[in-house]
Amino acid sequence: MPALRSIRSRRQRRRINKNFDLQLTSMLDVLVILLVFLLKSQSASTNNFTTVPGIEIPYSKSQDSPPDSLHLIITPEGMTFENEKIVEFTQTLDSIGSEPTYQFAKGDIDIGGRRIIPLFDALVQAKEKSELLRAKSEARTDETGEPLKFEGILAIQADKRMSYSILKKVMFTAGDAGFTLFRFLAMRQEQ
Amino acid sequence: MLKKPSSRRKTKNEGFELNLVPMLDALVTMIAFLLYSMSFLALVSIDSPAPIAATRQLENKLKEKPLQLTVSVSDSQMRIWSPFNKIKGVTIRNNAEGKPDLLRLHENLVQIKQKFPWENQVVLAPFAGATYDTLIAIMDSLRSLEQTDPPIYAKDKESGLDVQVKKLFPEIVFGNLLGE
Repeated sequence: MPALRSIRSRRQRRRINKNFDLQLTSMLDVLVILLVFLLKSQSASTNNFTTVPGIEIPYSKSQDSPPDSLHLIITPEGMTFENEKIVEFTQTLDSIGSEPTYQFAKGDIDIGGRRIIPLFDALVQAKEKSELLRAKSEARTDETGEPLKFEGILAIQADKRMSYSILKKVMFTAGDAGFTLFRFLAMRQEQ
Repeated sequence: MLKKPSSRRKTKNEGFELNLVPMLDALVTMIAFLLYSMSFLALVSIDSPAPIAATRQLENKLKEKPLQLTVSVSDSQMRIWSPFNKIKGVTIRNNAEGKPDLLRLHENLVQIKQKFPWENQVVLAPFAGATYDTLIAIMDSLRSLEQTDPPIYAKDKESGLDVQVKKLFPEIVFGNLLGE
């Protein structure tokens, strides 16, 4: 008799609902395990480095975690400094679908093709901003009470196919703008 | 006169239930925060100081000529040499795949490090077409000592004790920034 069975099952369901108490302990167990896993895999580094789509970063055996600094990303399409696109490489019809060419626009280069003008401007601006902030901040002083010197560190994240000729231009430009240390970023290679 | 029996025993031990809801709230918040702040990008870095031009006066002041270990990279080979002829130059041809022979490079550098354990700097001069991937691989070979490498000891200048060297040539300077 399907009608009777149906009423019985409805009664049973009601009875279960009356005594139902959500067991939070098992849920808590799962959450604690998740929390431990997240805390363990949380990197202790203090950087906010991100990446952009379309970039293939090389792998390195280095174990040094990069501290936060000014950040330049070089992709086959262009250069991004501190999340702002400053250079766009020119694309020719022949280069579409083949290896990236990293061609600069004519007006983007000076000093015999060594210095990248938009990058130089962005770096000088960032340096001036940093120095201004340091001068204003009383907490950022050295032993003599003078404002701390500009660190001059530039973190460079580049596509693995980029040639040294581009990197050389970047380093020359950064050196000209007063940067003294280049920090090459790569993906950690599991050993 | 008898004392009135304690009422504690008579009271029923009502089941104590820990209120887990606030704890659950805290855990969920923490997980959300950790997921948000988590870096899924495992980045590492290799530092390289910008080259500084040495003046003639400084060069004259140096009592002894420096090693100035240099690794020049061309599209077909690598060359390890010293401009002051402190070491015998070594040329390493690319491997069968046409890529830089990093194993031989590393072996030669370990031998040089054994002779000059206090030397930390190396000048890298790659050719214009060297890819960033190749540069990172070469820098890895220049910087780090592998577990399979023989131990290298250097005499500590202050204590006079032998100290094990942990890095090969960690200070890499690019030597041809001004060249074409």
